[in-house]
Parts: sequence; C-alpha cells; structure tokens
Amino acid sequence: MEPVVTIEDLHTDIALRHGVARPVGGVSLTVGKGETLGLVGESGCGKTMTALSIMRLLPPGGRISGGSIRFGDADLVTADEAGMRAIRGNRVGMIFQDPITSLNPCMTIGDQVAETVLLHRDATRAQARARAEEVLELVGLPRARERLDSYPHLLSGGMRQRVVIAMALACEPELLIADEPTTALDVTIQKQILELIDELRARLGMAVILVTHDLGVVAGHTDRVAVMYAGKIVETGPTRDLFANPRHPYTEALFRALPENVDSGRELYAIPGMPPDLSNPPTGCRFAARCGYATDQCRAEEPELTGTTHPFACFHPLGAAEQTAANPRTEVADPKNGAALLDVRNLVRDFPVTSNGVLQRRIGTVSAVSDVSFSVSTGETFGLVGESGCGKSTVGRLLVAEDNPTSGSVTFDGTEISGKSDRALRERRRDFQLMFQDPYTSLDPRMRVRSILREPLAIQRRGSAAEQERAVTALLDEVGLPRAALDKYPHEFSGGQRQRIGLARALALRPKLIVADEPVSALDVSVQAQILNLMRALQREHELTYVFISHDLSVVRYIATTIGVMYLGKLVEVGPAEQVYSTPAHPYTRGLIDSIPLADPEREQRKEHTGVRGELPSAMRPPSGCRFRTRCPLATEVCAEEVPAPRRFSEQGQLAACHHPLRPVV
Amino acid sequence: MTAIPADGDDAALPDSAGARGGLGRALSEFLENRLAVVGLGTVVLFILFCYLGPLVYHTDQTHLELSDATLAPSLAHPLGTNEVGYDQLGRLMVGGQSSLEVGIAAALLATAFGTLWGAVAGYAGGFVDAAMMRVVDALLAVPALFLLLFLSSIARPNVGLLILVIALISWLGPARLVRGEALTLRTRDYVRSVRLMGGGPMRAVLRHIAPNAVGTVVVNATFQVADAILTVAALSFLGLGIPPPAANWGDMLSNGINYTYNGYWWLIYPPGLAIVLVVVAFNLVGDALRDSFDVRLRRR
Amino acid sequence: MTGFIARRLAQSIVVVLLVTVIVFILLHLLPGGPARAQLGPRVTAVAIANFNHEMGYDRSVPVQYWTWLTQLATGNLGFSVKLNQSVLSLIGERLPKTLILTILSTVFALIVAIPLGVVQAVRRNRAADYAITFWAFVFYATPPFFLGVVLIVVFSVYLPILPAEAPQSSSLGVILLQPAGLILPVLTLGLLTIAQFSRYMRSSVIENLAEDYVRTARAKGAGERTVLVRHVLRNSLIPVATLLGLSLPAIFSGALITEAVFNFPGMGDLFWTAAQTQDYPIMLGITVLVGLATVIGSLLADLAYAALDPRVRFA
Repeated sequence: MEPVVTIEDLHTDIALRHGVARPVGGVSLTVGKGETLGLVGESGCGKTMTALSIMRLLPPGGRISGGSIRFGDADLVTADEAGMRAIRGNRVGMIFQDPITSLNPCMTIGDQVAETVLLHRDATRAQARARAEEVLELVGLPRARERLDSYPHLLSGGMRQRVVIAMALACEPELLIADEPTTALDVTIQKQILELIDELRARLGMAVILVTHDLGVVAGHTDRVAVMYAGKIVETGPTRDLFANPRHPYTEALFRALPENVDSGRELYAIPGMPPDLSNPPTGCRFAARCGYATDQCRAEEPELTGTTHPFACFHPLGAAEQTAANPRTEVADPKNGAALLDVRNLVRDFPVTSNGVLQRRIGTVSAVSDVSFSVSTGETFGLVGESGCGKSTVGRLLVAEDNPTSGSVTFDGTEISGKSDRALRERRRDFQLMFQDPYTSLDPRMRVRSILREPLAIQRRGSAAEQERAVTALLDEVGLPRAALDKYPHEFSGGQRQRIGLARALALRPKLIVADEPVSALDVSVQAQILNLMRALQREHELTYVFISHDLSVVRYIATTIGVMYLGKLVEVGPAEQVYSTPAHPYTRGLIDSIPLADPEREQRKEHTGVRGELPSAMRPPSGCRFRTRCPLATEVCAEEVPAPRRFSEQGQLAACHHPLRPVV
Repeated sequence: MTAIPADGDDAALPDSAGARGGLGRALSEFLENRLAVVGLGTVVLFILFCYLGPLVYHTDQTHLELSDATLAPSLAHPLGTNEVGYDQLGRLMVGGQSSLEVGIAAALLATAFGTLWGAVAGYAGGFVDAAMMRVVDALLAVPALFLLLFLSSIARPNVGLLILVIALISWLGPARLVRGEALTLRTRDYVRSVRLMGGGPMRAVLRHIAPNAVGTVVVNATFQVADAILTVAALSFLGLGIPPPAANWGDMLSNGINYTYNGYWWLIYPPGLAIVLVVVAFNLVGDALRDSFDVRLRRR
Repeated sequence: MTGFIARRLAQSIVVVLLVTVIVFILLHLLPGGPARAQLGPRVTAVAIANFNHEMGYDRSVPVQYWTWLTQLATGNLGFSVKLNQSVLSLIGERLPKTLILTILSTVFALIVAIPLGVVQAVRRNRAADYAITFWAFVFYATPPFFLGVVLIVVFSVYLPILPAEAPQSSSLGVILLQPAGLILPVLTLGLLTIAQFSRYMRSSVIENLAEDYVRTARAKGAGERTVLVRHVLRNSLIPVATLLGLSLPAIFSGALITEAVFNFPGMGDLFWTAAQTQDYPIMLGITVLVGLATVIGSLLADLAYAALDPRVRFA
C-alpha cells in the first residue's frame, strides 16, 4: 500500500511561561492510501499536537523541533508557509471537534464551503457555489441549496459537523485528519458521522487519520491503530490484531478500564497515578511509574518500538497469560427490595417560550419532561440515560427540588418534595444531594477545599467547628485524597480529583440519595474508572441510593441496577439493567445500544448497521402519539394516533411504551 | 496487578508551588508585570510629593506677592511663580492633594454603591433588574460633565460636596459591570449548590458571587480614580471647580493658558503633565490588575 | 430580530422619560425655583408669585411635570432672559456646528482607530503594539483642554500654520469654507476618541483571532491576510457599533471642553457660557436634548448591531 504520509521521529515543543513542554516526543507513523489510521490516547498524550503538526497549525508558542513529515514529495516540516497554504484544504483536509465554534457565525454556509474552492481552484464565484452545493449534498445535508444562504447557528450539531466535513473535502484531498470529530455529538449522530467518513473515504480514495480517545470508535472504524502515551507511540498495528493481542501494559490497562468489557460484579481497572509532566519527562519508559510490571530497567532505559507488523515499545510485553487476568471481584450492594425511597409520578415540566417582545407573548411550549413515572428503592442505582434534549437533566433538577414540575409529583421517603418552597425544604435537603458534571465549575475557585467541604455542614448547622473539622478530614479520607488537600484551591487539582471533592461535598450531610448528573462524562477513561469504583465503594459503605444520569449507556449498564431510557421528554423503557441492555423491548433502546461503539472489532463488524437514522425533532412541536415514530423503522399509523402506554415485558419489571415492541409482552 | 488505587499518596497531588491565597497570588503576578510596578511606583511617588512635599518644601500659598509675579524658574523657585506670585512647585504639590483626595474618595464611594446596586439587580433578575438598570441607563444618557456644570453653577462646591457629586455620577459604571458578573455567576454550578444544600440567597450573594466579582470591581475602581481626577481637572478648568485660593491642577492649567502667547511655559506644562502622569499611572495599575486576575482564573 | 428591536425601542422610551424626570428634578433643585431661574436673582417675591401662578408652578408636582413634558414635546424648551432668545432658536443656531465637530472627529477617529487596533492585535506584544499602546495611554490620560493647548502651542505659536481659534461665524456655510480653523478642534476631540477605540478594537480582534473558526479558516489554506479581512475584521467590528452608542456621552462631554478651548460657537460653548452666567433655561434645554440624542444614538447603534450579527437577525 503506497504511503500517503510518513512521519518520522517527530518532536514538537510548546513554549510555556516558564519552560518548555514537549507534547510530541518522537512519533513515527505511516498512513496508506485508502486506509484509516486511528490515533488513540487519553487527554495530554499528544495525539492532537501530532495532528496539528502535520498541518503546521500549532498554537502560539508551538514549533516542530525535530523529525520529518513526508507527504508526496514534500517535507512538511521544512516547507515554507506559502507551500503549506497550498496544501492545507487542498491536499490535506482537517476537521475539528466542536462544530459550533468551528464555523464562522457571521458567514453563510455556502460562502464558507465555497471559500475552500476559491482558495485553491481557479473558479468563478458561481462555480465555487455550485461545487459547494455539490459537496453539501455529498455529505448528506438535506435541502443543500436552501442552506447555502443560511447561517450556522440555525443548524443542529450533527448538521454543522457535516458542513465542516464538506469544507474539508471540497477540493478532494488525499489525506483527511479528523480530530475527535464526534466527541461533542450524541451517540446516534456520532454513528451517522463516522459512517459518513468511512463512506467518503472509500468514494474519494483518501487516507484518513482519526484522532480519538474512544477505543470503541477505533475498533469500528479504523484499519490500523497507534496508541499514544505521554508523547510517544507505545503500540501500533492492525486494529484487529491490536485488540485481540495487546502487547503494551498501557493498552491492556485501557481495555480493562472500559465499563463495557467488565461484568457488573467486578471492579473497573483504574490505572494508578497520573500522566507525567511533559516539561520535564522522566528518564526511561514514560509509563513505568504507573505500570504493574515495571522493573529497574524500565525506569532507566527508554524502550524503542520493536516489531514489524505490530510494533510495541516495552521491555515486558504481555503474553497471552496476563490478558486473561480478570479484574478483582467487588461486592455489589444488595438493594433492599422494599420501600421505594424515591417515587416519581406523572412528572411533567413544560417551559414557555416567549416572543421576546415587550408583551412577552407565549408563542409555544417546550415539553421537556412529559409524564414520566418511576421509582427507586433504597440501595439501588437507577441509571437515567438518553441523548441531548431528552429531558434527563431536567428530571435530575426536579428530583432534588431545584425546579418545580408543571404537574405530577416527586415523593422522597414518604414526603412530597415537589412544589415546596425553599424554606420548607431546608432541612429535608440533607437527605438528597446533587453531584455535578463539570469539575471546573462545580467548585468555587476562591474557596479552599476545607471551606468547600464545611459549607454544607455550616448551612445545616451540623456540629461545632471542631466536629466539622474532623468530619471534613474523614470525608477526604473516604474519597481517597490526602489531608494536605484541605488547604489547597480547586485549580490545583486535576479533573478527577475535583470530582472526588464534589463527591465528598455531596456526602458531607450523609444523604440517603445522591443524584449524579453526568459525573464522569468530562473525565478520561482511566480516571472515570477511579470515580466509578469510588462511588460503588461509598454506596456499600453508607447504604446510598444513586440516580446516575448519563448519556453513556455502557457506563450506565455497568454501574446501574435499573435503567431508564428517555427520549424527547418521555420515559420509553425502564427495567433491570441487564434485561434492558441485552434484551431491550423498545426500538429506540435497541438503536441506542447499536450506536455505541464497542471496543471489539469483531462485534463491531457483526453489528447489523441500524443505529438510529434521522434527526431529533423539535421539542416545541413533538410528534403526535409516540414521539420516536419519526425515526423508528417499525412505525405505523397507530404510532401517530395513540400515545403508547407502558407495558410489562418481564417478571422483574421491565416496562416499555411501544406499539411494536421487540419482545413479547408478559 | 495492583488493586484499586486511592488517589491517596501525596505524589499524586500536583506541584503546590503557587499554593498561596488568592490575593497573594494575584499580587505576585501583578508585581511581575513591569509596567504595573512603574504605575504603582508613580502613584506612590505622587502621593509622597503632594503630602510630604509641602512639609519639606515650604511655600506660601495664601498671601499674594505680586512683586514676584511670573518669574521664570530659578534656584529660589524651581518651577517659577504664577501671576499672583505663588511658587509653582509648591502650588503643584498642594494642588495635587485635592485632585487625589477627590479622585480616590469619589471612586471608593461610587464603587461601593454601584457594586451593591449591580449585585442586587443581577441576582434578583426579572422586573427588579430591568427597572434598576433603566435608571442606570437614564443617568448614563446625560453626560456627566453637563450635570456637574449645572450643579456647580448653582453653588460652587467644596471638597466634600464635589466628592459626593462625582460619586453620584460614577457609580453607574460599577453597577453595570457587577450586574453583568452577577448574571453570569448566578448560573454557575457552585452557586446552584448553595441552594441545594439548603442555603439562602444571602449566602449565595455574599459568600460566592461577591468574592468572585471582586476582581472586576477592583480593576474598575482604579479606572474610576483616573476618571475622577480628570473630571475634577475639567471642572476646575472650566472655572467651576473648588473656588480659590485653594490650588488645583485644573485651575492652574486654566490660568496658565491665558499666558500661552507670553511663553510662560512653566505655568502650563507642569500641571498638565502632572495630570497626565497620575492618570496614566492609575490606568497602568488597573490594566495590570485586570491581567493578573484574568490569568489566575484561567489557569486550571 | 423584531423582538429585539421592539424590546430596545420600549426600553429607550422608558429611558427618555426617565431623563425628563431627572431634568425636571434638576429644575426644581434651583434655589428659588424655576421662577428665579427665569427672571433673574433680583426679582421680587410678588413677581415670583405671579410667575409661578402664570406658569403653573403652584400646582401639584405631577401636574407640573405633565405641563412641562407637553411643553417639551411641542418644542418649547424655555426662554433665556439673559440672551433674550428662545432656547430652541439658540440651540438651532449652535447645534449644526457641534454636529460638524462631533461627526468629523468621530469619523476621523474610526478611520484611524480601526486599522490601528488591527495592527496592534496582529503584532501583539511587539514593538508596534507597545508603541501604539503607549501613545494610546498618554492620549487617554490627557485632559482635552491640555491637549488642545499643546496643539495650539505647537501649530499656532511655534509653527503658525493653523489658527488657534475656530471660525466664529454664526453661519454654518462660512465655517465650512474655513476648514483650517476646524482642524485643531477636530484633532483634539478625535485623538482622545482614537485612544479608546483602538484599545477596544485591539482586544476585540485578539479575542476573535483566538476563536476556533479562525483555525478552521487556516486549515482551509487561507493566508493571514484573508483570515483577517474575511473572517476576523467583520466579526470584530460588530461590537464597535455598540461601543459607538456607549461613547456618545463621552463624546459630547469632550465636545464641550473642546469648544471651550477653541472658542468654537457650538452647543457646548453655549452651555458653558450659560453655566458661568447662571442661565438655567439654556442649560436645562441642552441637557434634555443631549440626553435624548444619546438615547437615540444608542438605539441606532444597537440596531446596527442587530443588522450586522446574523445570530440576532435570524434568531
């Protein structure tokens, strides 16, 4: 296979305020025509910097300090700027992560796509516009001609990403670099976009470099993989081979940290420690400090990539034996079957939409939550899962009485908490707490950890100052942080550590229920594993009940005992986790499960590529009858006429609301 | 393989070299900025010049000495004398006092009141916010100088009244700023959490919103001082500031301009330059403060 | 967008009404009340009483306010006893000249400040940036009266090429035929505005240069100049529209001082003379007018912003 781009021993530096960081420390790669290379690693490993180096689009202070990048007959490291400009957008296209900010809000879509053509081809404006329309149709943008004159903010995330792809492909480049192209998108849209990239690659005969942190994406959409850690490639090879026989301990550790691979009864493997500081890289193997197999040799010498078809850089690569070692077993708390701790009945939350004029006329309603009912027993973990716009975050706010429902009730431990004033709820609030998603905004940057953790105790007037101090120290121990953390400020901690602090704060009042709103979505896989293990352990210790809200079904499957699936404000299916996951009754659940990229190339291939087609309808005008019918392959007339009622599908209480369920009713 | 890791060893914590309190860190970053140091130094110099200067360099600023009128700079009078015989250097020192006093006092008053107004409006939201901000808009629509001239024409103010009046007009800036901050901060997770823990709005505003808005407020306050000094000078120039024989830089400049064609440069440039230097100094300090607060919050 | 416009319009009306209330309060702050203001300080008590009754100042406050408001609406801004002319006609004479001054200096400021700000942003933290920033700071801190004097000294005393006084004619046409006399005042007022605008433009461009869509444009192969002109400039200019609206009060204040320094027969000069002679009707009339002008200007600036930003235009 002829190589399209060959990178050899690439070194990239970034000048910091004090010192220099080296995010890329000697990377060598090849990508052949018509193949997709996956570049995978966690945040900070240097994969994005490598991608940006190819385009020579480094951030201010960045420069390539060594190595070569052969592309065709040019070396991109030494090419002059004019030469690079002729290549960018023309022979190499790049797409980025966030489609909202990647598009100029003040330029029409047509102009932005046509710009690529006008920059590199001798075309008239009319010709460029025609080409823009052609490319937009190619990427599957509906009503492409109309959209030429409209603006990005009117499109959905998936549509915008299609526009970004169109811009990159307008001149039919030889190489496409995609930097986390689907991370900011819903999982069902993600599947659509990844399949689009595959299809376009085949059609245009391109080479593709797919940069991502998601092993599932790599498993299903790449031919070869390179795993990066701390600025170096630790292992690379054909995808199937690498997934079937990982050789490097880091690769193996990543697999074992994935919830999808782990049975609920076992702990996730969480890699101890943190990645090294790249302004002062350690001698020897960069993974040695966190590796269970490390020896003195590893700490002294740096291993080189050895091997031809499946090279890896390690002195003690894995043999077949180590791979079968399973994660340790964990005790899963036994939910006390009995009284429901939380009971939600017919919950409805509508948001009025006003016309923004003086009179503030009501021109519509967003039906964010529509007739949702479920209950959670003590000791259970209820996983509420769904994509953006499904209403799960709104439900989360209703559960902790941050918001009041339009109708329906939320009953906690026998008392109704919906519709009550803050004053009435003040003391009850001890029993249910919220854990936030964003580790960067959930803690007050001006407060020390000690004050942050004492605040709930101070508000609820629990204990004297000395007692509070003791309680706070104990909390830190429980979440696995050192005592020294008490005097530090939030910005001195990593994302995972901040989530631990957030968890400790939620625990401070010894609540019975913790509602966790996407608690691990902003974290890397290995850190995610740490937090999930921690939450499990605390649940056992304190007999906690969790409501775990997430868009990530594989995480929810791992940690939840019961799963509830939401779509456009409705609870479409609910039941015991294993049942919902392995034998779903609702077509949306099925589609959602199919869309999740699994870190197993075999299973990915064997999937019947269904997923969920189409786009999310507007929440202001939801479809009549069953809200999912516009995207459902099984929809018939009755789906438009009648709202489906929940029906039972198993003894253990699996319920789904569908006219054409995938399982027989019980 | 090892079991579950607790993130429990000290090695896991990032380097705590910058672990001082918020203020300490902001201060050290501030001092790294050379321009900031220059600005701060200039302000201090002027304060010393205006308050300690007259104690060291005695001049008579109340009794006319017409025989000494408009003398060029010499050893006896390093900056010459003005048209009624007052020593210019001495007058510059004394004149600075009222400029600085009015400037700083008016700025503090304006900032305090404006912050309160803005915080209440921002946190309350809705109609209360709209009403309060319309008042601010209306007061902003009338240019300050016009209002001040009007009030001065009724009665020439003394220092206290001047401070009050300038503050009355300057509080609008901080009000707008703080309201903006309050609106943004209100939706932050850590402010939400206060309510979810059972805390009331007072706690949210005082313990979380106000401290996090402090940066903006302090920066704005320094700019207020600069603006106030300019306003006092303008008023004096237009003949409606503090009445004589009190010295004031704007007043000195206004007198000096009468002699533009006589070439008595020492009557014009010293007061003008003094104003420019002090105002530039405060602006430098304010700019540097803004940079140091910004960087700190952005460093994650 | 219609929603945005409607809201801003409603807000502006409220603000204008509030401005009239403020001026009304000022009217009644005068010692001796509006009677003394109109008739002068040596008026007798009987004359005051008659005046009050005639003008309706002895009725209740809300009624007075309403009367005064309707007077304003019909263009009756009061009468200056000292100059023996209606305030409206006085303003009518002076307004066009102030407009010339402010418009010329603002246009001048925009023409200079916008490219200057772009240059600063592109050569950030290099020699050009520091040099321009230094001068911006200096001009920002220079009181307009000092700047004016310095300019006079340089251009009228040492190099006598420009007149130190603005043309004194009461007719607009004559003034325009003597452009030399306008140069220094426009320069004075303009330089101060440039200092502020260039600083603002600089930070707007720096912010936009750091946005993701700039990176996308570069990834398409656009050169720095294309990026600047096609992407960044347009987006950076949008907030400048709002800035213009917000700067109007400052521009008017600056105009007042500039007119005083150069003896320019505009509205600001009129106001200053009125302040010195305690001619209150003129001051109040001008205050209302300036307030109104600022609110309208602000509204127009916001409308321009809405027209330029597609996110507001097609909400």
